[in-house]
Amino acid sequence: MLHAERLTKSVTSGERTLTILHDLSLSVAAGESVAILGKSGAGKSTLLGLLAGLDTPTDGELSLFGHPLSRLDEDGRASLRAGRVGFVFQNFQLLPTLSALENVLLPLELSPRAGETDTAAQWLDRVGLGERQNHLPKQLSGGEQQRVAIARAFVSDPELVFADEPTGNLDPDTGGQIIDLLFSLNQEAGTTLILVTHDHALASRCDRCLRLIDGHLAAFDPRSLVSDEAPS
Amino acid sequence: MSNLNARLAMRSLKRDLRAADVRALFVALMLAVAASTMIAFFLDRLDRGLERQASQMLGGDLVLEQRDPFSEDLRTQLEDAGFTLSDQVDLVSMISRGDRFQPASLKAVDDVYPHYGASQVDIGEGTEPIASGPAPGEAWADPRLAQLVDIGIGDRVQVGQTELTISGIIEREADQSGGFGSFNPRLMLNTADLDATGLVQEGSRVEFEILAAGPPQALDNVQALLDELRREGVEVSDVRVDQPQLGNALQRAESYLGLAGLAAVLLAGVAVAMSTRRYVERHLDTAALLRCFGASQRQLVIIFSLQLLGLALIASLIGAALGLAGQALLLWLLANFLPMTLPPPGIMPLGLGVLTALSVLVGFAGPTLLRIRRVSALKVLRRELDPLPPSAWLVVSVASLVFGGLLWLYSGSLPLALALLVGGAALLGVLWGVSALLLSGVLRGVQSLSGKGPWSQALRLGGRQLGRRRQAGLGQLMAFSVTFFAMAMIVLVRGDLLNTWQDQLPADTPNYFAINIQPSEREAFENTIDPHAEAQSALYPMVRGRVIAINDQDPREAVRPDARGDNSLRRELNLTWQAEVPEGNEIVAGEWFANNDESADTQQGWMSEVAATPKAAPVPISMEDGLAERLGLTLGDQMTFAVGSDEITTEITSLRNLNWDTFRPNFFIIFPPDVLESFGHSYITAFYLPEEEQSLVNQLVRDFPGVSLLNVEAILGQVRDVLAQVTRAIELVLVLVLLAGVSVLYAALTASRPVRAHESGLLRVFGAGQTMISRVQGAEFALLGLASGLLGAALAELATAVLYLYLLDLPPRLHLELWFLLPLGGALLIGIIGHSLSRSLRQQASAASLGLLGEA
Ligand SMILES: Nc1ncnc2c1ncn2[C@@H]1O[C@H](COP(=O)(O)OP(=O)(O)OP(=O)(O)O)[C@@H](O)[C@H]1O
Ligand SMILES: [Mg+2]
Repeated sequence: MLHAERLTKSVTSGERTLTILHDLSLSVAAGESVAILGKSGAGKSTLLGLLAGLDTPTDGELSLFGHPLSRLDEDGRASLRAGRVGFVFQNFQLLPTLSALENVLLPLELSPRAGETDTAAQWLDRVGLGERQNHLPKQLSGGEQQRVAIARAFVSDPELVFADEPTGNLDPDTGGQIIDLLFSLNQEAGTTLILVTHDHALASRCDRCLRLIDGHLAAFDPRSLVSDEAPS
Repeated sequence: MSNLNARLAMRSLKRDLRAADVRALFVALMLAVAASTMIAFFLDRLDRGLERQASQMLGGDLVLEQRDPFSEDLRTQLEDAGFTLSDQVDLVSMISRGDRFQPASLKAVDDVYPHYGASQVDIGEGTEPIASGPAPGEAWADPRLAQLVDIGIGDRVQVGQTELTISGIIEREADQSGGFGSFNPRLMLNTADLDATGLVQEGSRVEFEILAAGPPQALDNVQALLDELRREGVEVSDVRVDQPQLGNALQRAESYLGLAGLAAVLLAGVAVAMSTRRYVERHLDTAALLRCFGASQRQLVIIFSLQLLGLALIASLIGAALGLAGQALLLWLLANFLPMTLPPPGIMPLGLGVLTALSVLVGFAGPTLLRIRRVSALKVLRRELDPLPPSAWLVVSVASLVFGGLLWLYSGSLPLALALLVGGAALLGVLWGVSALLLSGVLRGVQSLSGKGPWSQALRLGGRQLGRRRQAGLGQLMAFSVTFFAMAMIVLVRGDLLNTWQDQLPADTPNYFAINIQPSEREAFENTIDPHAEAQSALYPMVRGRVIAINDQDPREAVRPDARGDNSLRRELNLTWQAEVPEGNEIVAGEWFANNDESADTQQGWMSEVAATPKAAPVPISMEDGLAERLGLTLGDQMTFAVGSDEITTEITSLRNLNWDTFRPNFFIIFPPDVLESFGHSYITAFYLPEEEQSLVNQLVRDFPGVSLLNVEAILGQVRDVLAQVTRAIELVLVLVLLAGVSVLYAALTASRPVRAHESGLLRVFGAGQTMISRVQGAEFALLGLASGLLGAALAELATAVLYLYLLDLPPRLHLELWFLLPLGGALLIGIIGHSLSRSLRQQASAASLGLLGEA
């Protein structure tokens, strides 16, 4: 499904070169759910961007769905994602000018399944917003917006879903509901899930937990209280 | 695939219509289309109307004229090419009634006459339009002839060997064909009666004409035939070549209209560029997200281009509707002054409007829009990752290229378009520098305001805000100042310029012209006006003659191509003879006729030769230098005139400069004495009749019915009317230009929205109330308007000074009211518009201030 080997990512700002990720390797099997934990600034989002092919590594090899990404250009990587990868973001990233239904429809429009409005409506139903199809994002609460985003992530029956701190902008109660929703949908669809968070409770529901420290990934048991950071 | 892109594009466009930048874009495009279609619709109708009028005046689309009857063969050829033919015969002959004899210019027309239009004829029930000629056995006389031989409807006149019944008084003929005898009064008859008159005989001076009417391709079909006919000596008039030129005022108005319309398009383009920038910035997130979901760069471009295209299409349609309404208004404003009823609007300008909108979109929004494809999908994770804006050079070059193309399209001439583009760019550069200086000056002046009151505080703060957006501010300043300048010029030209010019004429400048004084009346006429009139000019004899050859060539081929349509070659010229250089004329090249005693012999020499063999030594003539320049002629060039039934070959031996505003009879061409005397001639004079002597006019009309009196003041009044109407039409276009300027203001406001919200938020955090924020914003725009008004006044003052110096030969004078009204009016107008456009921003300010507090 996804295979990364000796990934390195460094960025130069001014004269200083900052290495965010260093010789990082990771393999994710189909149907697996993986949590990536780490302090703020550890490089979690950077890693996610690389794994999803949004960005290119400075060094190392990465293959997605069996395609080596280094051989593809930006457009090639984009078309690899189309219809096969779903995203959930910390700040929801709904298009403000589109209704809830149209937002969910968006990934379908970019895949061969354009125009399947019924499918989109069903997914809105499944996240409990069947009545709010025509509402604009700003007419929805944060939790509701994130539900729309989740429906959007799953609507194209993706093989892989990336989630970057999906509860980061929500209060704990709402966050809990969102997590429940995310995992139940994931289980039903049998999707591979890669989830970035610093919430231990959230991480503990994944099959596997990894921790990002000093640019490396290390296996980690979220139930162990040996932690340098308090659960949020 | 593109289907879904279109759906996606339209779906978000529908929602986007509420965004300020999309609205600004929409309004700007709509204005560009409204301005361009309004003018295009109008000019298109005018041109087609003029073409039709030209055909009507000519009597057909093609007119052939020769001294012998035309062959049947030629007729068939023309009919096969697609023409309808009408025969006409013109000749000069004596007509009589009782013991009254009068030479008249006869025009015999057939049943097809006239091809176009109708004559104004009184057949007993007042003047009415009649689209035919007189029936066989009947004739129509013009009012002059009716008076000279004392005939009325129902009377019979002798024409050659037959008698015809006058069945109508013809006030105006449908066409102007067969006008060679225009010096003699007209009698129109039917060709069926021609044989009975016995006037058409071998050797008599008769002109046969074929008036042909047909579609443009019929004209194309016969071009080769026409060339052949020309070589055979047939006089050929082709409507496309002989189209009369527009009146000067109308022609200028046309080009002003075109320029003003393009100015509106340019301003709208600037507004489009500004709002596209904001539009793209606002949609970078969307683009990144689409990228994340797998959209390719191409798809992004398609989606957003389709969105703007959809916008442009709707804007074009509404703009075109506005343009259509605008041209109707324009037409109405110019109605009295347009010589005809115009054909209905065509479809072509609509296409032009849509093309303009699309060009403006591509040229002014294209490079900025393309930036959207370079957005990185990573932006969904890292917000600050924005693609670099396109280089200013790229944006400006693409826009100039497209605008240059539009100039080309509208002007129809590449060199002109290039000149306008380069000249315009240079002017804009200079204007940019001057504006920058002026803006700094105004801003410095405002900062030094020491008042503690809320208004001086608002002015200081507003000035600072304006200073922070210097570049955008400069652009707007230029746009508004040029618009104000144009408006001021219109008002000045209409009022001040004409008045000043008229005021400087000497008090006794002639106010009447008398023309058509017969040699027999000459003395009586002079004796009648002498005791009453002041400043009477000499009486100049006047003979009509037509240029038939220049340097032994067809006049049209002998002159520069651009002079082929010159009126002097198409119409009969008024020729005079003088022994001395007339008052107000100045020889600028060559020598005046040798008329002193020593040369009497030589003069006598060519005189006798002329008398003997007309083709011998050319007669010296003096030509007005302006005409010589227009035709590209100079000393030594030869001109042959047809005068009466003779041909006189002349040579230009002197060029004269003359002052046209003396209101004295002026002549393009002056002959020496003793050449033209034998031809039919009349006299012309000008004189000044004081107010208290006006009753003399009635006496003159009564005693000299053949003499026409022209009142100069009435003519000037007409000029004033024409000017007023033309300038009103231009004003209408300027209002569109001003609106386009406002759309720039709106777009700039939209583009600076986030910064402005931030600024107002800061002011609020530091304790400014809603009133204060509102005042500061008002002050910012008022300052912009003030500076624009100042610059506009300076430009107008400069331009009028140039006009005074070079056009009127007067020392320039200062227009203090300009310096007062324009800056004040500008400050008010722009202040109010800007203030109301930024209202929604002020509402955002409170939210922004909360944001600022959150950050702190
Ligand atoms: N293009 C870049 N230029 C400069 N610095 C960068 C760039 N990309 C990432 N960084 C830096 O790398 C570090 C990791 O960033 P990243 O966003 O991946 O952290 P994170 O683990 O997601 O943090 P958080 O939990 O706050 O979201 C940060 O210090 C960030 O400033
Ligand atoms: Mg992050």
